[in-house]
Amino acid sequence: MPNPDSIMLWKALKGIICVYKPAEISVKNLRKTLITKLCNDLSELDVKLRYPMPESITNNSDSTSLARQATEISLTTNQSITKSLDLRYHPLVIGPRYRDEDLFVSWSNYLGWNTSGVLLFGLRRGTQVAKFIRENRSTRAYRINGVFGKATDNGFQTGKVVEKSTWKYIKHVHIQRILSSMQASHQKKMYEACGVDLNSQLAYDLAVKGPIRPVDSKIPIIYGLKCIDYEGPSFTIEVQCINENEIYLTNLIQEIGLKLHSTAHTRTIKCIRHSCFTLEHALLQKHWNLHNITENMDKCNRLLVENEEIVNQSSPVLRKGRLAPVP
Amino acid sequence: MLRKIFKTNFVNVLRNVSSAVDGSIIQATSLVDLTENKQNALTEVEHSIQKVPRTDLSEISKVLRPGAVSSMYVNKSDVLQQLVKLGVNLYQIEKDPEAMKFILTLKFEDIKDTIIYLKELGLETEQIGYAITKNPLLLQENLEDLKVRVNYLQYKKFTPEMITRIVENNPFWLTYSTQDIDNKLGFFQHHFSLTGKEVRLLTTKCPRLITYPIKSVKLNTFVVKEEMGFSSEEIKQILLDRPQIFKTSQHKLLKTFEYLHNEMKIPLETIAEMPQILNCRVKRLKERHQFLVKLGSDQYDCKKPNYVSLLALISNNDTHFSTEVAKSSVQLYNEFLKTL
Repeated sequence: MPNPDSIMLWKALKGIICVYKPAEISVKNLRKTLITKLCNDLSELDVKLRYPMPESITNNSDSTSLARQATEISLTTNQSITKSLDLRYHPLVIGPRYRDEDLFVSWSNYLGWNTSGVLLFGLRRGTQVAKFIRENRSTRAYRINGVFGKATDNGFQTGKVVEKSTWKYIKHVHIQRILSSMQASHQKKMYEACGVDLNSQLAYDLAVKGPIRPVDSKIPIIYGLKCIDYEGPSFTIEVQCINENEIYLTNLIQEIGLKLHSTAHTRTIKCIRHSCFTLEHALLQKHWNLHNITENMDKCNRLLVENEEIVNQSSPVLRKGRLAPVP
Repeated sequence: MLRKIFKTNFVNVLRNVSSAVDGSIIQATSLVDLTENKQNALTEVEHSIQKVPRTDLSEISKVLRPGAVSSMYVNKSDVLQQLVKLGVNLYQIEKDPEAMKFILTLKFEDIKDTIIYLKELGLETEQIGYAITKNPLLLQENLEDLKVRVNYLQYKKFTPEMITRIVENNPFWLTYSTQDIDNKLGFFQHHFSLTGKEVRLLTTKCPRLITYPIKSVKLNTFVVKEEMGFSSEEIKQILLDRPQIFKTSQHKLLKTFEYLHNEMKIPLETIAEMPQILNCRVKRLKERHQFLVKLGSDQYDCKKPNYVSLLALISNNDTHFSTEVAKSSVQLYNEFLKTL
């Protein structure tokens, strides 16, 4: 029977963990790596505690003449060791105790192939929490690096260049102006979608309650847009948004390029915040092991207790914008 | 306890009824007898339930998983026990149903000679276990055939140490017939124009490459020669230095090469001198190169000052790299990784 220690750890492995997703790897792949790593660690611990390494069996296999004798000896000596044990549960026979299909893992925000940054995984019972977080649609912050002057067919650096243009006339102020107008139009769109006149008392009451968000999970809304860095053709913007995906963000960069009478493509997209989880909490892939992951889970669970509204919204009226046709 | 209460109540009721109805006492007593009989029957049933052997539910659930068959038979079968003692991973073997079927039909006497022969070839017990785990059908081979195959190697001037290394590194080697092995060795000698000594060096360095599908080796040669543009001498140099390169997937190889040659601007001659860097993952290369670029110390030309060796770049762990090669700290490197 397995040692209580591995069972205890297995039982403790339920909750949310926050990991760092590098670019150019899929979330699905990352999940698989995580599961394999955790199961291997657990099984190893289990075996180590259950079957401690036996005393090194001395076999004189150096000279070939003694080989036959040595095999027989080692076989018989091993026999006496293993006779008392029930071989049915030996790791060489039954295989690892914890297998990949036993560990349920699901993600609560999906980052595309080219996106890097904060990613939340729910382990075992935590998959439910992950689902709640996903369905609650919390805001996320992205830092996107774009380059003016070239447009590519897929919007990324890796794509084929389809158009070139000048960019030298673009100043930091111009970008900031465009971005703030975009942000304002998004806010306006939200109130229009609610079916409220912007000059009415109703709109004021709604605005007082805080930012409103769509009921539909398919409509991306931007709450904050600002340019944090502009240097040569490359620029970096920070986006606070909801319901976004990778394609939407690359389109946003292309749109910015077009509005400035130039063209632009995306270089990197990085998720720097997911509700209350930031890069600080994210665990790098090289640090994934049983110890670090349980520690990270503990940290994340404490964060979740502090910010309960991520999982469970106490006041649904406050933040829901009903999507009615525009009058 | 409950049953007792029930019984006394029942008897009381019966008595009341019997007192009410005259002349029925006899009947009532008979009823009491009946209840007692029932009681006996109940206890008998209880006993029989206890007699049914309890099946371990964990055993039933495990039937559905790999490792179940070997777990079921291991305590009964002598062969399986002996194999476990050798360190054979039965769980791995069971993933191939045909192999497991074959192993279960064996008797230990049949395979004993083969195992002893492997031992005589100079393999350690764990290595024999590893070889059987990887290639259980090795036990199917005739002992005479094995001897002929080893003889062939001796005839081709392989030393005993070389043969030991070949057999322990490539458990599939001994299942190939002498004709096959001869063809394969001939292919390598002809394709890369190697001398006899070089063939032996290549075989001992990477025995698995020899039995690797010739089609893939040809494809990788094409990648190295035509797509990367190495000359025949350089290819030979790469093959003898790092034979593993011809075993890796062509896409991975090309990706690494493209990053090395196009992004890091490393000339072909340097790569041919240090073919290990072609085996490095692109991700690792990218991370470390970009960190050096950020620090402004990406100087890979050995004739200029502040030279960073490419081998130092790809080898060792991140702690060693960030402190010794990049002259920075691990914390900084980890923070840098989160900005990528």
